[in-house]
Amino acid sequence: MSELIVSELIEELKVKLIDILNLQDVSPEDFDENGQLVGGELGIDSIDVLEMVVMVEKDYGIVINNQEVGEKVFYSLANLADYIKENSPGSPS
Amino acid sequence: MTERPVYIGGAGIVSPLGFGLAATEKMLRENHSAIRPMGLFSLLQGTPLPVGQVDNLEESSGLPRTHLLARAAAREAMTGCGHPPDAIIIGTTTGGIFTTEQLLRSEESSKELYCNHGLNSVVTSLARELDCTGPALTVSTACSSGAVALCLALRMLRRGEVRSVLAGGVDSLCRLTYFGFHSLQLVDGGGCRPLDRHRRGMAVAEGAGLLFLTTVKPEKQLGLLLGAGLSCDAYHPAAPHPDGQGAFKSMQDGLADAGLSPADISYINLHGTGTPDNDLAESLALHKLFTNLPPLSSIKGASGHSLAAAGGIEAVVSTIILSRGLMPANTGLREVDPELELVPLAEPLESPVRAVLSNSFGFGGNNGSLVIGTDDIFSSSAHCRPGPGLTIHGYSCLTGAGATVDSVTRMLGGRSAAGRAGLDTISENLPPRLIRRLKRLPRMTLSLAAAALENSQFSPDSLKPDSVFMGTGWGALSETYDFLTRLADTQEQFPSPTDFVGSVHNGPASQVAIMFEATGPNITTSGGDYSFEQALLAAELMVDESAEPALIIGADEGHEIFSPLLDPSVESGDTIADGGAAFCAGRKSRNSGCSISIPCYISSSGDDAVAALINSLGGINSLHNSCALVLAGIPAAGSGAGEKQLQRFMAQAELSVPVIHYRRLTGEFASASAVAAALAVSFFEGGVIPGDITGQSKITLKSREDKILVLGFGHYLTAMEFYRL
Repeated sequence: MSELIVSELIEELKVKLIDILNLQDVSPEDFDENGQLVGGELGIDSIDVLEMVVMVEKDYGIVINNQEVGEKVFYSLANLADYIKENSPGSPS
Repeated sequence: MTERPVYIGGAGIVSPLGFGLAATEKMLRENHSAIRPMGLFSLLQGTPLPVGQVDNLEESSGLPRTHLLARAAAREAMTGCGHPPDAIIIGTTTGGIFTTEQLLRSEESSKELYCNHGLNSVVTSLARELDCTGPALTVSTACSSGAVALCLALRMLRRGEVRSVLAGGVDSLCRLTYFGFHSLQLVDGGGCRPLDRHRRGMAVAEGAGLLFLTTVKPEKQLGLLLGAGLSCDAYHPAAPHPDGQGAFKSMQDGLADAGLSPADISYINLHGTGTPDNDLAESLALHKLFTNLPPLSSIKGASGHSLAAAGGIEAVVSTIILSRGLMPANTGLREVDPELELVPLAEPLESPVRAVLSNSFGFGGNNGSLVIGTDDIFSSSAHCRPGPGLTIHGYSCLTGAGATVDSVTRMLGGRSAAGRAGLDTISENLPPRLIRRLKRLPRMTLSLAAAALENSQFSPDSLKPDSVFMGTGWGALSETYDFLTRLADTQEQFPSPTDFVGSVHNGPASQVAIMFEATGPNITTSGGDYSFEQALLAAELMVDESAEPALIIGADEGHEIFSPLLDPSVESGDTIADGGAAFCAGRKSRNSGCSISIPCYISSSGDDAVAALINSLGGINSLHNSCALVLAGIPAAGSGAGEKQLQRFMAQAELSVPVIHYRRLTGEFASASAVAAALAVSFFEGGVIPGDITGQSKITLKSREDKILVLGFGHYLTAMEFYRL
């Protein structure tokens, strides 16, 4: 597996989120990668977090089943991308 | 007029704690938890989560598990009664889904096998077994269903039309709820520890709890159902209001309904599911309502959370608490969460109890609180008893022809509007962010509600609906289908939390509450082809003279795969039809076009059912003088028997007015009668019944006496009347 580049990962995640959360009136440019993801302007809530948990497990093989970890990981898109990069199978630990 | 006390003449319970009152009492005394790893079905991966499972349920009759649980509880509750109840009201969310899941897995396509899928089939099978020919109603408001069913029974008994009602809740374990709650991360893998500092969630469970309620003082009574309060958080589809606002309101209204103050309560049976959010919100509501809290506990650490059954089970447990003076412990608790500032019972407490407050809260912010007490605490004070008849202030409808104007125009021309409106039509004028997670039924429901309010004489700003009553025969089919499909496709690894939340029958009505901030009673009924009639019946019972307006809605979605499989009136290869209607209704005559009431809801199997129908409509003379039109609902599956019932009705009532078979216009779907109701309202609006729709000359609605009837035939005979004020 080639090493994940965070900026590319963030772009990839934007597209995925628009798809799985059905954010019809949002385009990738509307995301602020450092802005508040949950409870922010996009209207993303606790149910969406759970859908994102599923996506992270399914697409990246990373399990998030701890609320405290979840709160940090889903704080922003940048946090999410960092967490995926750090925990990807094959990435240096 | 003296208020009628509502006595608890019998109780029946089946739960993980055991079969019957005696076994339940024993378990509660011993303070043991019945929560164990799930063993009902095998898993494709992982170890079983802890659940509350009923063991040794006899499964020989071919009925689904939910039906069997209900039957066992009903038999105990009715022991020694000697006569059938006048009505039955059951709260359930699962119906025959556990059986359906297995049938779908083995790719069974024979629709007869799915005949007990619908929520409605639980109460129908009970009515048949108990020989009950009166109203048999189904409430589906998620985890408050059992409590809401008991609240409706209380209202019905106070009104005096029936003298006894069997009511409560039932649910069985199934994959939908097992994986659904897990996908929401609401299940505690270590068991269930309500109010504990380290609590991590609930244990999904099953069971049934039913009360036999009667206004005729029984020789031996277990207590009285003194009052009930209902509310809606109108906040979020799955999470409780963080301040416990809805919980506070339902407890407050329950106490007021019982004529009691917080100080009169001897013990509080908490909803206490063990999820971090529920227990915190409930504690905040308790502190707001009570200055000094009485002893309290949650039994869900012992029994698990049996969802729709919980309200019924805990009402039955309340009768044990009352009659034995035994307050159960908060089983499973090790260290109380200091944030809650509660002192739950660590051990069972024996002390006389005069009144119990029992809470049940559910998805959609749907709350119910019951007050059960001894007869010396009964207060015959100020219950209002709303009469029949609601005024209609606005309406909307939806069919394959499109929104209200397009649908009505098509049908007035005598042409079929059967089909499914496009996604654009059912999403029109709805905020994209509000509906991004919503599939077909909730979108239809929201657009109907918004259009009915817009059609009313009030602007949506000045008119805030308080309560919502929704009838749906099949609920959110898309979400249910998609949840089960993804569960199977991903080898049970990735069930969808969004689809699970959307799959509950009361999802659409709770979305309406959120959109319009409707914090009053929020009741979803599911009565097959009579679902809208049941919603109207619930509205008549709940909407007080003083209350703000209500929304009454009937809607069903047509689903390519599920509709032909589940709805007996839809054959594969048929054009799938769906739609519905919504009404803005109240008790005030100002700005109202006409009134609606439901004088008849009886089983067609009773003696002289047609004569009883005629009688409920005022008799032959009255019908003769007032009836201008009959809109007849005969579901395709029962067309032979239904047609005969209609002919008998017309002959016995000596009526020769035009009859419209409205399903020929709407197509076949469970809540088609809501669309017929919208047509009736439109006739009064225009003052004319056009000739094209009846095939006869046009009828002018001139006289104040004129009535239009919307009649339902088949297994039940129902009548809705429409008239000017």
